[in-house]
Amino acid sequence: MYRNLTIKQKQIVWAWAFLAIPVVFYSVIRFYPTGNAILISFQNWNLLGDRTWAGLDNYIKLFNDPVFWKVFANTFIYLLLGTPISLVISFVIAYHLDQLRFMHGFLRMLYFLPFMTSAVAMAWVWRWFYQPVPTGLFNNMLANLGIGQIEFLNSTTNALPAVLAPAVWAGLGFQIIIFMAGLRAIPKSYYEAARIDGVGWWTILWEITLPLLKPTIVFIVVFSSIGFLRIFDHVFNMTTNNPGGPLNATKPLVLMIYESAFTKFDMGYAAAQTVVLFLVLLVVSLLQLRILRDK
Amino acid sequence: MATLALRDLVKTYDKTEVLHGINLDVADGEFVVFVGPSGCGKSTTLRMIAGLEEVTGGSIEIGGRQVNNLEPKDRDIAMVFQNYAIYPHMSVRKNIGFGLRTAKMSKPDKEARIDEVAAILDMTDLLDRKPNQLSGGQRQRVAIGRAMVRDPAVFLFDEPLSNLDAQLRTQMRLEIKKLHQRVGNTIVFVTHDQVEAMTMADRIVIMKDGHIQQVGTPAEVYHSPANTFVARFIGAPSMNMLPATASGGVLRLDTGSTVDLPARADGPVTLGVRPDDLGLGEGVALVRGKVTVREPLGPETLIYVDTGAGGEVIAKADGRTPPEVGAEVTLNAKPENLHFFDANTGQALT
Repeated sequence: MYRNLTIKQKQIVWAWAFLAIPVVFYSVIRFYPTGNAILISFQNWNLLGDRTWAGLDNYIKLFNDPVFWKVFANTFIYLLLGTPISLVISFVIAYHLDQLRFMHGFLRMLYFLPFMTSAVAMAWVWRWFYQPVPTGLFNNMLANLGIGQIEFLNSTTNALPAVLAPAVWAGLGFQIIIFMAGLRAIPKSYYEAARIDGVGWWTILWEITLPLLKPTIVFIVVFSSIGFLRIFDHVFNMTTNNPGGPLNATKPLVLMIYESAFTKFDMGYAAAQTVVLFLVLLVVSLLQLRILRDK
Repeated sequence: MATLALRDLVKTYDKTEVLHGINLDVADGEFVVFVGPSGCGKSTTLRMIAGLEEVTGGSIEIGGRQVNNLEPKDRDIAMVFQNYAIYPHMSVRKNIGFGLRTAKMSKPDKEARIDEVAAILDMTDLLDRKPNQLSGGQRQRVAIGRAMVRDPAVFLFDEPLSNLDAQLRTQMRLEIKKLHQRVGNTIVFVTHDQVEAMTMADRIVIMKDGHIQQVGTPAEVYHSPANTFVARFIGAPSMNMLPATASGGVLRLDTGSTVDLPARADGPVTLGVRPDDLGLGEGVALVRGKVTVREPLGPETLIYVDTGAGGEVIAKADGRTPPEVGAEVTLNAKPENLHFFDANTGQALT
């Protein structure tokens, strides 16, 4: 029977044969839970009892919850600070590392190391850095210089940047590698032609390097934005005594979802937050792709 | 416009010397082509003239001024790269104008200059396009336009035609030559293609292993090659090289034939004869053998002749009535078309 099919039909049969596994995988592992989460967001459920229909109650509760709005703002602060800062730092490092021949491989490995390190271990080390005198590294350094103590993690204004710093640092290695690959892909003759034309390095950077790196930049911006919008482990591990504290100053959306679901067992409410996060990620990613896309 | 002079030019990378003292004078407005196999140092020489590679020893003078330590932009040169190096994110107009970035000209003057160059290269209607909307030949012209816009003393071309297909290459070859006749700047052109070198150059510089083998007009290098390398490199198919022994003004070929030797030599000599000059017509009988392969080219047919003992020569036969494969033929050449080389040094005997 297979023999009698046209070449086109045979191709379709084979295509579906190979597609079957990912289709099953995505349906069971991705789409079913996603659909279920959306469904639960319209229900009340405490994991053990029956699910009861709640309509839009969870969303109305969310809309009226001041903590949600605080958390929502925090999440965007992580995004709006983290993405540009990490983008600029990683580009500057990659740009210079690319021109360096001396110990190039070793230095690149050093920058990549934090990316391979467990976020939990890293968060705890940074937590120690932030301790007051005599334990904390930063405050000891400040004390030696005669500068007053800084409450890194216990202040509502300092805590979020203090938590963000190691998150940025941890992601740098990956972004540097991607940037360096992008820089390497630019033909050398472009720079040689510019040298012969006699333009300055600033013009070369702005008019040749950066425009040609645009695909790399788009990738890194989208990738790191998604990362910062979903930030959780650094925050959770650096503020374990009072997750997301002080006074919700560092709490991101994912941490709020986690607490709603697994400390308050309000699955419906957590699911509603998840749906909001999903929409935020979707909108932000699409916006970035649209803005940064080639005309 | 300017002259260009290379004096004992040496280049070493780490400890390896790749250019061993190049000497060359290029006249104002001359079209000089560097040709040689890959790794012969032709591109390195060009890049040193451009200022993209440091000069290890010797000097480079452009217009009588030593430029060894000048930045590329201060040398009054422009370069066309093999991959064109035109920026994909800029329009043709911006690409051509990029060379004027640092020029002390008013904006309208710059625009006028870009339009002028575009008109010369016949691409006024392409100015607002992006490079990815252009064909290979058009991109090539943009690259040339970017070099032209600065009106440099010396144009440098680094294998600019090797990314084009054969037909377009022939066409661009002609266009560059016409352009040179029109603008008259000094041009240094690097290629590995001897046909390009022959067709475009006022003078050809043939290089091998970091040494200049011969400098001369296309006719000179073709008709009086300085050594066996030049003889075999220039002209296609390559010159036949026949081993022989000289004694008392007579050359005895290993095939048994004898030829009068105009030069004074004794001992082993290599006799060179181009396939074009070797055939079934009149002349001195050089070799006898069996035709093994025929390559019809239309007006003529190349025949490969086995001379016995593994030797094979290429000769030219009539296009309409070439000898059959397997036929026994005697190949003749006119005495004035024979080249004699010292078999040990490879240098031409005079």
